[in-house]
Amino acid sequence: MAGCSIRAIWILTPHHSVAFSRTFPVVERRWRSACARDGEVATQEPLPSDLEVAAAFTDRKQREGSARGFGIRVASSTPGSDSWVDDPVTRHIITLHINREEAEEYMLWPVIVHTSGNYYILVLPLVEPKKVREYRKLYQRNNCGGSVKEHNSLSSLLLSLPCITGAFMVAHAIGDLIAGETSDPEVVATSSSSAVGGLLDTLTGSIGIGVAPRPKPTSVPILASASSAATLMGSTLVDSSRTMTKPIDKDLLRGFISGSMPYGTPVDLNQNNLAAIRTTGFGSADPPPADLRQPAWKPYLYRGRQRVLLMTQETINAALYDREDIPDSFSISGQINCRAELEGLPDVQLPLIGVKPAKVKMLSVHQSAQYSDHGEDKQAIIFSPPVGSFVLARYQVSHATNPAPVKGFYQLSLVSEDGGQFLFRLTLMEGYKSPYCMDFCTIIMPFPRRRILSVDGTPSVGTVSMTERLIEWKIVTSGRGISGKTVDATFSGTVRFHPRVVNKSLSVSLSKSVLGCTAAEDSDEERESSNNSVNVEDVLMEKLNWDLEAVDLEEPLCWQAFNYAKVSFKITGGTFSGMTIDPKSVSIYPVVKAPVEYSMQVTSGDYILWNTLARSPHAAVPKDSC
Amino acid sequence: MEKQTSFKTSPPLPNLSIQDWDSLLDDFSSGDASRRRKHLSLPLLDLCLHSLSRRDLPSSLKLSLLHFLDQHLPSIPIPSPPFPSLLSSLRSLLPSPDPSPLKEQLLITTTSLFISLLQSPSSPYLQSLIELLLPLINRPNHGPDRQTRGLVCESLRELESAFPCLLSEILGHVWALAQAERTHVAQSYLLLLTQISRNAVVNGLLSSSSSILSTSTPLTPFTIPQIALSDQSLVLSPPSDVNLREIRRVLAFLLDRPRDLTPGAISVLTSTLVDIADALEDCVPAVSALLKVNFSSLLSSHNPFLSHSILSLYRHFSEAFNDHDIGKVAYRLQLSASDTSQKLIFRLLALHWLYGSTLLTSQVSSLTSLPGFYPQVFDPLAVKAKKLDAISVIASEGDEAVSLLEDGLVCISYFRWLPGWSTETLVAFRAMHKLLIGVMPHDGSDNGPGCMRLGSLMESTIFADLENVLIHLALEHHPLVPVIATFSSRLLQCETHSPVSSRFLQTLDRCLIPNLKPGYGLSFYFPLLEKISENETVAPKGVLELLKRHMVCLTDEHGPDTGHRSWSQGSRVLSICRVMLKKHKGSQIFRPLSRLLAFTCQNFPDLEVRDNARIYLRMLACIPGKKLRQTLSIGEQKSGLAPAPLPASLIDVPPHPSPDLKKSTGIGSYIHLERLKPPLVKQSWFLPVQGSVPALSNGSGCVEGGIMDIVTSVAPSSPDESNKTDSSKVAHQKEASRVMDPNTALLLRVLRTHFGCIPDYRVMPGIKIRIPCMLRFESDPFIRNWGFESCDEQTLPALYAIKITFSTLSKYGKIPSCRVPFLLGDSLKSDLVIVSVGQGNDENIEHSNFAKVFLELQPEDPMPGLIDIFINANTATEQVISGFLRPVTIGIEDMFLKAILPPNVSDMWVPRYYSDLFDTLWEACGSSVNIGRETFPLNGGKGAVLINGTQSVKFLEVPEDVLINAVERHLAGFVVRVAGAPLVKVIRQNRVIENIVWDEKEEEEDDLDVGPSGDDFSAENALVAYSREESELDVEYTQAEMESNSNDRSLAIVDKKKSVGNICVLIFLPPRYHLLFLMEIGYGSTMVRMRTDHWPCLAYVDEYLEALF
Repeated sequence: MAGCSIRAIWILTPHHSVAFSRTFPVVERRWRSACARDGEVATQEPLPSDLEVAAAFTDRKQREGSARGFGIRVASSTPGSDSWVDDPVTRHIITLHINREEAEEYMLWPVIVHTSGNYYILVLPLVEPKKVREYRKLYQRNNCGGSVKEHNSLSSLLLSLPCITGAFMVAHAIGDLIAGETSDPEVVATSSSSAVGGLLDTLTGSIGIGVAPRPKPTSVPILASASSAATLMGSTLVDSSRTMTKPIDKDLLRGFISGSMPYGTPVDLNQNNLAAIRTTGFGSADPPPADLRQPAWKPYLYRGRQRVLLMTQETINAALYDREDIPDSFSISGQINCRAELEGLPDVQLPLIGVKPAKVKMLSVHQSAQYSDHGEDKQAIIFSPPVGSFVLARYQVSHATNPAPVKGFYQLSLVSEDGGQFLFRLTLMEGYKSPYCMDFCTIIMPFPRRRILSVDGTPSVGTVSMTERLIEWKIVTSGRGISGKTVDATFSGTVRFHPRVVNKSLSVSLSKSVLGCTAAEDSDEERESSNNSVNVEDVLMEKLNWDLEAVDLEEPLCWQAFNYAKVSFKITGGTFSGMTIDPKSVSIYPVVKAPVEYSMQVTSGDYILWNTLARSPHAAVPKDSC
Repeated sequence: MEKQTSFKTSPPLPNLSIQDWDSLLDDFSSGDASRRRKHLSLPLLDLCLHSLSRRDLPSSLKLSLLHFLDQHLPSIPIPSPPFPSLLSSLRSLLPSPDPSPLKEQLLITTTSLFISLLQSPSSPYLQSLIELLLPLINRPNHGPDRQTRGLVCESLRELESAFPCLLSEILGHVWALAQAERTHVAQSYLLLLTQISRNAVVNGLLSSSSSILSTSTPLTPFTIPQIALSDQSLVLSPPSDVNLREIRRVLAFLLDRPRDLTPGAISVLTSTLVDIADALEDCVPAVSALLKVNFSSLLSSHNPFLSHSILSLYRHFSEAFNDHDIGKVAYRLQLSASDTSQKLIFRLLALHWLYGSTLLTSQVSSLTSLPGFYPQVFDPLAVKAKKLDAISVIASEGDEAVSLLEDGLVCISYFRWLPGWSTETLVAFRAMHKLLIGVMPHDGSDNGPGCMRLGSLMESTIFADLENVLIHLALEHHPLVPVIATFSSRLLQCETHSPVSSRFLQTLDRCLIPNLKPGYGLSFYFPLLEKISENETVAPKGVLELLKRHMVCLTDEHGPDTGHRSWSQGSRVLSICRVMLKKHKGSQIFRPLSRLLAFTCQNFPDLEVRDNARIYLRMLACIPGKKLRQTLSIGEQKSGLAPAPLPASLIDVPPHPSPDLKKSTGIGSYIHLERLKPPLVKQSWFLPVQGSVPALSNGSGCVEGGIMDIVTSVAPSSPDESNKTDSSKVAHQKEASRVMDPNTALLLRVLRTHFGCIPDYRVMPGIKIRIPCMLRFESDPFIRNWGFESCDEQTLPALYAIKITFSTLSKYGKIPSCRVPFLLGDSLKSDLVIVSVGQGNDENIEHSNFAKVFLELQPEDPMPGLIDIFINANTATEQVISGFLRPVTIGIEDMFLKAILPPNVSDMWVPRYYSDLFDTLWEACGSSVNIGRETFPLNGGKGAVLINGTQSVKFLEVPEDVLINAVERHLAGFVVRVAGAPLVKVIRQNRVIENIVWDEKEEEEDDLDVGPSGDDFSAENALVAYSREESELDVEYTQAEMESNSNDRSLAIVDKKKSVGNICVLIFLPPRYHLLFLMEIGYGSTMVRMRTDHWPCLAYVDEYLEALF
């Protein structure tokens, strides 16, 4: 079956009614003939109506516990449910049971689920009927679960179905579109020190003016790593923005679908290109290149002042323990963003410096690029740039050459059920010289399950503020960045909470659905009396943990089970890994004179100071990784 | 703006306004057939196409109309094919030079409709469409309309793919155009070329001797080639040399610049290339090499879709890649899985692709790639779970498996102290499960390296290590105990792995149980203990002894504030005992379990637990194993996992409150329906036995009440015959077919006569029991609740048109409802009068302060039960009162009836008949008489029954005069014979019991043998007689019971010396059962021997006898 074709797209509101739907009769004809060829009568059912899809989705939500489902087989799973397959991917690739009054129930698989801006985007790609049959076997298997190595496992099924991957690309593209997010990466022009606009600006020649036609979501560094920030901030802060559902611009969506996959087969999912073609079109001023063939992803050729903007963006995830038994762990991921405003179809060579010492692993490069690794100091990326900003390469670093920008420890000791003492002792920017500059640095102590009554204590530097769920300590505020000096910061104090209200019913219902038993039916006293441990803090922790909710599989860990402080910062003027680009050695063929501007920035991702005095999550380090 | 809302079908076409169109589009997108239907009379297609040229409509609406046609036209019945009008619209729009979204959408819609509506390509319209499109693409590098040209290529590609070989004759032109095009839409030309070439190759066009790339025929006019029209697939013949050369050129061109294509296009290209390569197989060996050169580097692209398309090439052309290449691919996928900037789903997919290919998993299996699979702290849990899968794959290859897994689990190590339902716990246990099934996959899967058979797995270090991990978890982290229990039951339910789980439970029994301490903390381990108890392969001794110590401990620690806890823990222990009773077949549970139960029913502080323990003990001792298991499984569907053996609905609690009226909720407290004669035993429990003798339910055609359908091998009797109770005839018919000794024959004749009188309630009115009750209500609370201000002291409130309906969970048939037209409230002063009246039990009393109603039951199973009462009535102020009253209890003695007398027995012979019947039934219910599986037809001709007897004894330590008194008061009607001179004398004197057989001869020891077959009545035999046949359950006695038994025996021996006499009691239990007492009355104590053909009743009879005194 050729490529990836989409049978249907549905967009469901948070209340599970269909807000938008699109089917592709051309693909449906292909599905029907494939069914007829395979002798599949049952699957020849016409596609469900919007109402049926909404009902099936709601029904699945009830069956699987949540809109996405458990993803792992739990005690309440039954054959014929996605969680029975026992794989986290079934939270993204789901089955819908369509119940028709006059006909037999049939299943739709694979339905891709992606959420964006509170909408559920469901995409049904075309797969061969026999693949559906294969999945049905896994879905209704009567044994205890599949192993990785067995034949016809879910993995081999997924490998043989690129259309599922394609459907995810479609779902993400649509998700970005309805959420109003552009896929442009950030590139800062050092000369004007302002973020440059998107592709449309290039076409309209408005670069450098600094007024972007579409407001780009400004990268607020605290929210930079969105996934964990949501939990960090506690539900109250983020909810307001989350519950707002932007209405869908159906005309825009229809235009996008007609442009990107007129007959259901996605050809080009680049939102910016499609928008540019739709709005500007082509005139006689866009002659085709004389002797070169224009790539399909570069519908327009740049004309104007030539320059190359490069930016290295690194994100540090760190887990700092300050303990002898657990080493601190750092992982750095970085990307090189590029915006090459060059006429024609040139090739650019970009030598990289410091790849080997930093043990950089090149994860991926842009489709137009090739990474070449020739010995000790000869690593380079050669690429033919598209128009507009793009991510040239992504990499990961296991060994940074620079020291940690924020070092130290955080201790919190719960002296009673409703109060605790804490102590921070931190060193910032030790070993960093100019031009490294720390723009800001903020520390947040979240207490998502407690309501804070008061905080006592004054930090040695910075200011402290408090909301109901978190304490925020601003050590370095933006505008007063520090450069070329080391800052020592300490903060000790006490925090008091409102008395706790336990939501027991929730935990009981959870234990019933997940464990299939009533583990929580014993009274509280029983739990306490059985506990032989003498440590008061352990007892407190255990009590606190009893009403913890299970986190989604998308989360790395159950944040709420731990005490920690999260550090947010932004450093400009260098990279943490030590891998850089020398702008002077960037070469362009055919040779043109174009200035190369290069900027660097390091931001914090999950930069966590775990409470030294309590339990903290960590991971084993394989023996031979160093 | 022009506004015309009338929907007319006559020409000229109605001009629909924007609003009209909006509502029409809404109606169609709603999916509601009725909303659609009202528009179906309109010429929708022409209306839409006409609207395109209207200037008053906004272009967004026009686009919507085209989308509407695209989506819905195939499902709308249209009178004539839509193609002419579509073509004419397209013709008018296409030539305009400016690209417009409308033009493009019309092109898409038209093509789409052609494809979905045309069944075969032999349509002249299709030919016109293609002729319309071809000139458009024939302008390579033309600037302004490049986007339209690209779209036309896409349209042609879709047409070619729907109707294969449609464009095969113009392949040469397309080839030239694709080479010429230099703008970004070159991709569309290339894809069109790919599609046409593919169809040409697959359909065998290469075998022709003329070049497929020939451009000798002009592009237009276009004719549909013959090959596209023929349905027959060609027999593939080898390609001709010239075409082989041509196709190589095409392939070389297609493979030349994949870097210029978008990911979507590459996906189409690769899958088409795979088709071509498959069809050509050996002819073009260079393809895979070219693929490797041109595509491999794309694997490291950001775009997962692109990577996946390239991966599928690897899968198809695996021979083109060496181990080094494959290793690089595996490494790349491993890196993608760690790419934190990538979206989660693509990280998961990367891992799936890695595991999905046998080629790649071999790379995973090498330990060198292990570091990449150690989960990181901040990896999402889904990724952690999938990475752990890899560890289990690697681990299953070597002995250090579990330590590797444990290292992997460090990243979620805190699952140990999180609640059992946390996601981390799920992930951890999933990993352990994967490891286990990785080592020993299910049947039918590949037994590759590292896979084991059952035996070797159980002996392996992996399994032992895993067991240790789990036992350690269970010991240290009790919140995980239910999870471990779930884990083991998951394996147990699996055919392949249930032995593994059994072994694991055995290990738990060996290693965990001895380490557990009795006390309140033990309750955490109940889920596991239950699992161990359920498993037949584990000896129950360990668990039972632990539980015994636990019960001792609970009893010791019992204090004023542990009441609830003792109850809850005791009940849970009993529920484990119940599981044991149900699951274990061997006799090994008997001794430890009876000890545990005996201790509980004697010493446990909580009454309910004591009671339940007693029931279990009695069941254990009195009911044979098979029956016991069936009995215990019956209640299961209802009670689910309830710890107590009794479904909550049967325990004496007020039933569900009336849902509607707030005032009605408490009416049970002042409106009363009470029995005139309260039951002797205040029953608080009922065994939820439904089919009365489940052992019978194996019989074919068996239904409720232990009655089965007669297999009509017997000569069918005419309907009028069967209606008559001509029992002797039936008996003779049956008798003739067998040869037996005279004694048995006599026995059978009596039984046939007797059962022939019992109506089969399934086919005719059954035996009914009427229980008189009294309905009354208290005025005071009634007035308070319903607010009658006008009520003065003298006027009593009244209820009108009262309807009482009954419902019950017990099998009492349908209970007819009662109506009471009028009822006054009780006197406001006092209700003393009423009480005295109630006790008076005088049937003639008519008083409007209470009403007498009858509960009419037709028991299908003689059991005690509860009857829920719902009342509906009007008040004087026309308010409606409805709600539940307190339920009425039905006792076992309500079921006691005299046996039915056959019509042909004269009055004089009645005592003799009953006495004989008693003897016969006594015999039949004994274990030794061989009446085998003899069936006895019931009256009605349809049903027959088997007699399945059970016996029991009850020792009553009461003086003989008290006993005689009690019998005369409560059982007088059922006594059939009194034997022994002293006894006869006393009872005759009292003149309560009359019309029976008096046997005045002096009792000798031999006379105790009532049955003609010389049934042995020694205490031991009576107690365990049933176990002779089914020796599965070796019934023994606890020490305590042994002692009491030996007491019994010694007393019985003493009593025999000074026995007063015997009383024989014959009780009929509707619908068709019997209860027989043989009371051996001594001075100071009495031994009651019981036999019955309905063993569940014994449980209640016991209490009944106790309540007599």
